[in-house]
Amino acid sequence: MTRRPTAFDLTADDVSHVRPGEAPQADAAVIVEEAVEADDLPVPPVPVRRRFSWSRLFFGAVGGIVSLSIGLWLDQLVRDLFAREDWLGWLAIGLIALALVAVVAIAAREIAGLIWLKRIDRMRRRADLAAARDDRPEAEAVVDDLVVLYADRPDLASGRRATEARVGDVIDGRDRLVLAEADLLAPLDAAARRLVSDAAARVSVVTAVSPRAAVDVIFVVVATLGLIRRLAALYGGRPGFIGLARLTRLVLTHLAVTGSIAVGDGLAQQLIGHGLAAKLSARLGEGVINGLLTARVGVAAIDVCRPLPFLERRRPQLSEIMAGIRAPGAK
Amino acid sequence: MSFTTLSDEARIALDNMADFAWSLGSPSLRLGVTGLSRAGKTVFITALIHNLTHGGRLPMFEPWRAGRLLGADIRPQLHPDVPTFDYRGHVRKLTDTRVWPESTRQISELRLTIAYESATFLGRSLGRGKLDLDIVDYPGEWLLDLPLLSKDYRTFCRETLERAREPRRTAIAADWLTHTSGIDPLGPADDEVAGRLHELFSAYLGAARGGSLALSMVPPGRFLMPGDLAGSPALTFSPLELPESGEAPRDSLWALMESRFEAYKDVVVRPFFRTHFARLDRQVVLVDVLSALNGGREALLDLEVALGEILACFRPGHSSWLGQVLTRRIDRILFAATKADHLHHVSHDRLELVLRRLTDRAIARASFSGAEVDVKALAAVRATREATVRRNGESLPCILGVPQEGELLDDHLYDGKEEIALFPGDLPENPQALFKEPEADEPALDALRFLRFRPPPVEVTAEGVSLSLPHIRLDRALDFLLGDRLA
Repeated sequence: MTRRPTAFDLTADDVSHVRPGEAPQADAAVIVEEAVEADDLPVPPVPVRRRFSWSRLFFGAVGGIVSLSIGLWLDQLVRDLFAREDWLGWLAIGLIALALVAVVAIAAREIAGLIWLKRIDRMRRRADLAAARDDRPEAEAVVDDLVVLYADRPDLASGRRATEARVGDVIDGRDRLVLAEADLLAPLDAAARRLVSDAAARVSVVTAVSPRAAVDVIFVVVATLGLIRRLAALYGGRPGFIGLARLTRLVLTHLAVTGSIAVGDGLAQQLIGHGLAAKLSARLGEGVINGLLTARVGVAAIDVCRPLPFLERRRPQLSEIMAGIRAPGAK
Repeated sequence: MSFTTLSDEARIALDNMADFAWSLGSPSLRLGVTGLSRAGKTVFITALIHNLTHGGRLPMFEPWRAGRLLGADIRPQLHPDVPTFDYRGHVRKLTDTRVWPESTRQISELRLTIAYESATFLGRSLGRGKLDLDIVDYPGEWLLDLPLLSKDYRTFCRETLERAREPRRTAIAADWLTHTSGIDPLGPADDEVAGRLHELFSAYLGAARGGSLALSMVPPGRFLMPGDLAGSPALTFSPLELPESGEAPRDSLWALMESRFEAYKDVVVRPFFRTHFARLDRQVVLVDVLSALNGGREALLDLEVALGEILACFRPGHSSWLGQVLTRRIDRILFAATKADHLHHVSHDRLELVLRRLTDRAIARASFSGAEVDVKALAAVRATREATVRRNGESLPCILGVPQEGELLDDHLYDGKEEIALFPGDLPENPQALFKEPEADEPALDALRFLRFRPPPVEVTAEGVSLSLPHIRLDRALDFLLGDRLA
């Protein structure tokens, strides 16, 4: 398959020289298509990590004082109980021990959830930078981390195998990430889209039929939190209570930051659609709007929970998700 | 450390201490731009200065990206007795007449002061916000002399003669070889005989370096680029066919040549090494892989030997604060395959692999001693654009550009005016294929042909401001070489 070195004279008759955006001559035997000068990718700013903060110190210290006072109070309580009756004291100690075990377990779960969040965040940032720099060693490291993250997911076994098979191939750093994205994250993305669609559909329907405003407010909050938790679980996280709170905060921040992007994302049509629906019935219009908002929260949650940025695959569009609702909702 | 004697070491340490005392408060960085002749040292330095002083597009250079780079300025240099690098002349040549700078004939030096805003609080409040970058440009041929420092005259003769008898060199070396074999090294010292030998020897070296052979291993380097030392005794010697053993008899031709060889090392090579190479902080090794590929397998193997011997002369290693005062060490080395613009970017990875294979021993040595090593394909000045050519249903990744006057492909001689699309051939997936002995039935390496292109026209904005020179990965190279010192 050796291809000999060849030169093409651009002024020859049978050569058509096409600049970017032009159409080639139909009868040319040789077509020289000039590449579009890739204007450099916007490179994400490298965040500067703050190591120390006074407010963190303050809360740490106050937390320490509160724990000390609780300890003191417990100690006093147990002493009092022992003074009154021995068995009461032992009972209190037993209960405290049980509570401690439970607290440790809960804390461990919360910590694991927080660590996961941090890990995902760091991984995405590294992947972003590696993709922008086309840095092969860094990309390899990120992909290795990704495989480790999904090591105990039987549903991703084939994707893992495909990713591992590519180790050692000569692939540009960015392409390595793109392949890993296609192998490992594509099935998850599809599932995530379905989750968001379902949640949005449920919110729409409940809003449209609920008798009281308070009911659908509560339902929207519960459904949204549930959606965020399920998306996190899908992408490999197990957020506990604090983890979920922080995740929700991240999602809302992300929503605020990317809010303007969504304008181009079919939101206009959706709002017009809402107008039409509202003409038919005010309740129906509210249902559409609530569903839309849930879908947007869902998309933001996908952004936050996904261990890689969207490189080659498309970020789920609101219109697609809403289309996903209409199909079952049409019945 | 057999390259330098003990007294050299002492003088290097002394110079380092003096430097350190001078530079307290004004940090400086010595960048060694290493490369054989025609590797693109002058163009690299020119493009580096031009991009830094003209605010060129360097998105992968972190200080530029973060907007912390305030500007750069050419300042009075370190050594007053060395000519200043003719930056403006080179830029004018590149942009106005669109020709590459001629090969460097003498050493020159330059100091670039980079103003930046430190990214750390301490750096902002205590630092000067400036970094002095010292760069030296020199004829690449001189680099070939560094390995001579560790050789005596007998070794030099043996190796040079062996190399001259290699099949590819016999044609050009024949005159000199026959003349040498007719001369008795034990005969009387005669200046005329020595002069004649030297003449033939330099002619052979010149032929090996130039022409289609493009060989690299042609020491001593000053024979090709004598500068103002031309005709001096230290430069008028030649290898002889020495007897197996024994010492040079008094007043013999052998003794004369040997003393001149030693003088060459003492007067020419050692000072050059001491003032410019023993005290570098960062190093970029530019290698013109493509012209070696044009020259075929022998040229490639020759380049490998030359690079191996030269790179053994440097001092890589992890540098500590105290170590910096006494012995400077090169803590980051970038191996760069230059002229990457002569290839479509899909082949850059393979080009990097070839370079990695060429310098693997040097890379291993540098990594082992704690230096950071990186390999990149780059073009300091990008002379071409990219295109895809579709012909008969196949598509070829090509480059568009104007070949230099006198370049030849398929019997077509280019006049330096017409623009063409060139498909230079495929680099093999495994670089080993380029190095191994070709099979008997396999055709020779003519599957690759890289033409040299003229420098690009520099775009001018509507206001008449000329933009910076385009490049490929110069920003990444800068980030690797300077980025951490501008933190």
